Amino acid sequence: MISATRRGRPFSMECPVPNCQQRPPTALGRKLSRARPWVQTGLLGVWLAPVGQWLHGIPGCVFHCYSCPWSSFACPVGVAANYAALLPAAFEAPYLLIGLLLLTGAVSGSLVCGWACPFGFLQDLLGRISKRKISLPGWVGYTRYVVLAGLVILLPLILGFRGIPYDEQVVSICRLCPAGALEAGLPYSIKSVLAGHGWLMSWFKSAILLLFLAVALFVHRPWCRIFCPLGGFLALFNRFSLFHLRFNPKECVECNLCRSRCSMGVKVDQKVNVSGCIRCLECTTCGAIEPCFAVPQKDSERIPKNPA
Amino acid sequence: MFRRVPQPPVNPALRDLERHDFWPGFVAAAIGVVLCYCGARHLTNVDTLGGGTAWETQLVKAFSSGGLQYPNQIAPPPPPKLDDPAAQAEALDRWAKQQANAAPLTWKVRVDTGAKTPCPT
Repeated sequence: MISATRRGRPFSMECPVPNCQQRPPTALGRKLSRARPWVQTGLLGVWLAPVGQWLHGIPGCVFHCYSCPWSSFACPVGVAANYAALLPAAFEAPYLLIGLLLLTGAVSGSLVCGWACPFGFLQDLLGRISKRKISLPGWVGYTRYVVLAGLVILLPLILGFRGIPYDEQVVSICRLCPAGALEAGLPYSIKSVLAGHGWLMSWFKSAILLLFLAVALFVHRPWCRIFCPLGGFLALFNRFSLFHLRFNPKECVECNLCRSRCSMGVKVDQKVNVSGCIRCLECTTCGAIEPCFAVPQKDSERIPKNPA
Repeated sequence: MFRRVPQPPVNPALRDLERHDFWPGFVAAAIGVVLCYCGARHLTNVDTLGGGTAWETQLVKAFSSGGLQYPNQIAPPPPPKLDDPAAQAEALDRWAKQQANAAPLTWKVRVDTGAKTPCPT
């Protein structure tokens, strides 16, 4: 069944929920849980294509720095910030960026966060090192929208109106981003040190990287939960995306396995298609939460929102 | 490895099924496809160094390769340096006049499609 039961010991926590320990994870949930790291690893071949420089003209749908020597696509967050800074000089609408994010969000919501994002995968791996985890309150997820509005749009725009190009802006999302520090700053600095030119990355960005790595050991996906503007944007589509999670009341035995499996702190037992969800699909192990794709239905086939 | 989260059970019969309607997602996805298509064929208002107009993909690539060029980043040509002092003074005078008469740059930003700065920031 589950770890503690497998070893023949009862759960240490006194769970008031009946049937709690009798509920085994479903076959689908187990398969998805096992497949996810492999899918994430396989997709690294897409995001880290060594011959992919020519695709920098297309924004990607995951959080991956375009300055990384192996990046295939342009970082959507960096592209958005550049567009904002460019606005005073040239009014250009980012059709490609908006279209791609709209398409990704409408089809899958934040599924790419849980299954495709290389930076999310890295945080998943870091999170496995330490078993001690600090839980975060649910409201911290809203800071992603503060980052999106403030650092990605407003600040580059204001500094752009003051005549400062994005590359010369001292405070910007790219200069604060730990993904940029890890994927671009670190390789170039190591290359520079090997060539005898010293450490390239600023001490501030190096400190951000170290702090992030330390926090990621004890908080599950700290960047995704607190700061990621891309994840925040894609999560807005979770409420109506074609791919979604559905609750099946017939399968629910109130075992609370769905919520217990959620490492993002989502109250899955109340509502699952929320902005804090990264669609890792771990909650589907309970059987009552099912991944599904919306299909067109006739009015007569529609099920009422609340059968009770 | 995880721990069960103890909490009062919720009544499954009272819970929202969270079934999504097809059409909102489909319409949003269709708009996304149209915007992607428009973006791929979109000629921007930004000129390239070569004199043409930049495609949207070229503009996006310029973001990641430090390919945006602003007028204040263009340095004026350096003053001439000649060995002969008389010719030097004359050349300097001519250079100063050229700088004074130089027409102000009319463009606000240009795209260098050949830029390859590995990390612009």
